[in-house]
Amino acid sequence: MSAVLQTKGLCKTYIVNKRQNNVLKNIDLTIDEGEMVAVMGPSGSGKSTLLYCVSGMDRVTSGEVVFDGKETSSLSENELAQMRLDEMGFIFQQMYMMKNLSVLDNIILPAVKSKKNHESRKETEERGRKLMHRLGIDDVGRNDINEVSGGQLQRACICRSMINSPKMIFADEPTGALNRSSSDEVMNELISLNRDGTTIMCVTHDMKVAARCSRVIYIVDGGIKGENKLGSFDGTEAELRKRERNMSNWLMEMGW
Amino acid sequence: MWLRILKKDLKRKKTMNVILLLFVVICSMFAAASVNNIITVTGGIDSYLDKAGMSDYFVAVNGKENSEEADRILSGSGNAKSFRKEAALFIASDDLIRENGKKIDLTGAVMVHDIADTAINFFDEDDNVLKDIKKGKMYITGSSARAAKIKAGDKFTLSVGNTSIELEVEGLGKDALLGSPMAGNSRILLSSEDFDKLKSDENSFNEKTGAIFYVDTDDTEGLESDISSIPGVLIKGGRGLIKTSYIMSMMIAVIVLVVSVGLLLVSFVVLRFTIKFTISEEFREIGVMKAIGLRNSSIRMLYLVKYLGISLVGAAIGFAGSIPFGRILVKSASGDIVLGNDGTVLISILCCIGVVLVIMLFCWGSTRKVKKLSPIDAVRNGQTGERFSRRGSFSLGKSRLGSTGFLAVNDVVSEKKQYGIITAIFTLCTLIVMVLGVTVNTLDGGGFRYLLSVTESDAYYTDLVSVMDIMGGRETIKNATEKIEKTLEENNMHGNAFIECWYVLPIRANGKSYQISFIHCSETKASDYEYMEGSAPAKADEIAVTPQISEKIGAGIGDHIMIDIDGKESEYIITAIFESFDNLGEIARLHESVELPDHLVTNTFPFQIDFDDDPDKKVTEERIEKLRTVFGTDKVMDTPAFVDDCMGVADILRPVRNFTFALALIVVVLIAVLMERSFISKEKSEIALMKAVGFKNKSVMLHHTIRFAIAMLAAIIIACVAVVPLTGLVIDPVFRIAGARGSIDYEINAAEVFGLYPAIILAVTILSAAFTALCTKMIKASDTASIE
Repeated sequence: MSAVLQTKGLCKTYIVNKRQNNVLKNIDLTIDEGEMVAVMGPSGSGKSTLLYCVSGMDRVTSGEVVFDGKETSSLSENELAQMRLDEMGFIFQQMYMMKNLSVLDNIILPAVKSKKNHESRKETEERGRKLMHRLGIDDVGRNDINEVSGGQLQRACICRSMINSPKMIFADEPTGALNRSSSDEVMNELISLNRDGTTIMCVTHDMKVAARCSRVIYIVDGGIKGENKLGSFDGTEAELRKRERNMSNWLMEMGW
Repeated sequence: MWLRILKKDLKRKKTMNVILLLFVVICSMFAAASVNNIITVTGGIDSYLDKAGMSDYFVAVNGKENSEEADRILSGSGNAKSFRKEAALFIASDDLIRENGKKIDLTGAVMVHDIADTAINFFDEDDNVLKDIKKGKMYITGSSARAAKIKAGDKFTLSVGNTSIELEVEGLGKDALLGSPMAGNSRILLSSEDFDKLKSDENSFNEKTGAIFYVDTDDTEGLESDISSIPGVLIKGGRGLIKTSYIMSMMIAVIVLVVSVGLLLVSFVVLRFTIKFTISEEFREIGVMKAIGLRNSSIRMLYLVKYLGISLVGAAIGFAGSIPFGRILVKSASGDIVLGNDGTVLISILCCIGVVLVIMLFCWGSTRKVKKLSPIDAVRNGQTGERFSRRGSFSLGKSRLGSTGFLAVNDVVSEKKQYGIITAIFTLCTLIVMVLGVTVNTLDGGGFRYLLSVTESDAYYTDLVSVMDIMGGRETIKNATEKIEKTLEENNMHGNAFIECWYVLPIRANGKSYQISFIHCSETKASDYEYMEGSAPAKADEIAVTPQISEKIGAGIGDHIMIDIDGKESEYIITAIFESFDNLGEIARLHESVELPDHLVTNTFPFQIDFDDDPDKKVTEERIEKLRTVFGTDKVMDTPAFVDDCMGVADILRPVRNFTFALALIVVVLIAVLMERSFISKEKSEIALMKAVGFKNKSVMLHHTIRFAIAMLAAIIIACVAVVPLTGLVIDPVFRIAGARGSIDYEINAAEVFGLYPAIILAVTILSAAFTALCTKMIKASDTASIE
């Protein structure tokens, strides 16, 4: 399998009140096509910063980030924006959406914006509806974003991240603002996407979420402390319990 | 504790607080300056006339003997409580020559006075009463002197017969009686020594002498009847007539007032918007305060303390700014009037206190929303999930717009109230500029020619020397017009010359005596003019009058009146009513066949020239240019220039329009910048999200800019539709006071009013919005993680 994302010596430093704060230190990471990687670690360890740096949402201080064969640190802001639009999908904890657009319009917005997309508006809308149907929210397309539940909204965010058929989806605490049942539903959808071939990188605090991923990376103080290769998840309850136990032991080892 | 929270809040919400402070400053400044302006302008003319020592009535008489007769009649009038006499020397442009030998172009007769012998107060440009003038110096008054670009330091030779004196202009003066743009007469004030010197050629001096009488009376009607037999009256009238002659200056003041009130409204609307916006932004803080047990009143008090602090600072700065700003407003209102009230500072302070109180009231009203917010809002991002009305009605899938354009249109449609307010403010700004533009267009285009009661001619030529000679009996109308025709012939432009003359004639109606101004021209037909009612005088014993005259003498169409022409009284019938600006609407017209002796002429319009070959516009313009050289004066005019010369207001109104335009642009910039800044701070998360999903900086900036462009486009469309009716509503009443009775036909230079102004305003809006949107560059895609 080829690598979709690769970092070498990735460093990110913030200067706060003239004090240097090294958030990420020499991160070497490779994510292969079709992988679903969870990034875990204590608060302030640099998980989200890593996600933003590798996805081109933030600039690295030093080191290399190669996404789909392209070195992203040499790309301009506009090129990075184009890359995020066409080749990446994003899911955030807070389910950010454009407040004046309906759920469906929010979903299809990146597709309408993308120059790669040569469909008619009707076709794009139809594709958006299909995605919504797949994620079980096809009845809320014309609703305002505050007329739907958190779980529905997060699934709409997943649809939006999928609309341009990205090479990779970046999810920052995708279940952080959801209750357990919504959280399970959202994770099931992500696993389903991953099974269909979409590479996913997911930052999470939740061991149960991480247990569904094929690989878990543990970060402490801006560096990778360890990694746990869980392999692909078959979706059964028994397998999940087994993986959760494995994760529990491993996280204890990591000092969780 | 409140102060600590306040201090932190001021630091943290720096942008919003600065925005609020700016609007409090603008609001206080406009409130204080415009209220001062209202008081200054409303009482301005009355206080000016009082300061000048103006009497209840005045009569200007031409000729030494006529003056002596007027003196005798007034002394015997039971209705004249007292009167003051001001000796005057009537001169023409030819008598006042610049040191380089050039004549000056002044409108109307010029009067020369001894400063020690004036019966009213004259003022210098700094509004000080003129008491002494040094030998060899002169002051000149009147709007036409300003139009002729006379300034301090200019040197002239003033000649009366064979006596000449050298004079240097000390400054321009203000004359309460004849200084208005509509009166148009200039007066020259000299030292006693210089004035006495002019008397040395006694014959010439006596030929040109006259007097103005200032009469105090309790019964104007009775006085007018008593003095109806005064011969050689040039102009006369009550205080009301003088006040009305300042209507054009008042119009400018009224426009400034309307602008001030508009700006005031804009400021309050924006203020309320900003406060509500700030509170709605702080749902989290309010929710947290409620969650920890603070009562509604305590939370509201926190906001009140904060806004009181901002309001006090803003009001103090606004007060300081209102003084120079108010001066600019008043100065732009008129250069002809001594305006100003003594309580400026006190009024400004009261206005600023008023602004603070209104802000606190707004604030109290706006903080009611605090009661609606619950601790849950703190965790629900301010969303209650209980909104039932849909935001937008558009669908991205069905729209043909690009994603950025769609987002902008959808935002405007979704946030109707928000963008409605912005559109309303933009409309107000655009309308003010357009209304002024239409008014100036109409004045510039000669559209008011019919209201001056003259026929349209190819050229109009002001020859004050001939007019003064006609009035002084040294020349006849026939000779003067023949001379002009001969000059035309010599220059290969054959044409007919004629002149509209004014006559002040005694009349009797309903048993009462009056003196009425008549306009008459033997070369035109009475039927050539426009009438509101009835039919044009068709016989020698038929006349037309204005509604003002009809009301004054209590006679209308079909009524008979007696008119005394050179001692012979005959009966005339009123056959028509017409509207006119002449003599502020107090005028009548005789049939062309009536013969009037030249020595009764008291005033004239310029000579009118109609070329025989009916040339096109270009040829006419060339001929006018040539005639300027031939006659040695710039006062050879086409119709628009002639109307402008008579009304004397377009020149004053133009800078007011420009000033207002600049002001409107500043307001548009402020609104666009400050509102956009507010929106950006509110929409930080959406901007970050847009960037995260792949929108480029350019698209985000375009999204924000288009929204303001849409609001401004909507404002321009509304303004284009509303400008004509609104101009009628605002400006018609002003011209009605000046004499017009029907609705005014406004002339619109479409390229200017519907093209240039909107294009500039739209461009400024787009630039302001685009410039402000640059700060969206600072919001990064990764900020999605840190935005609350």
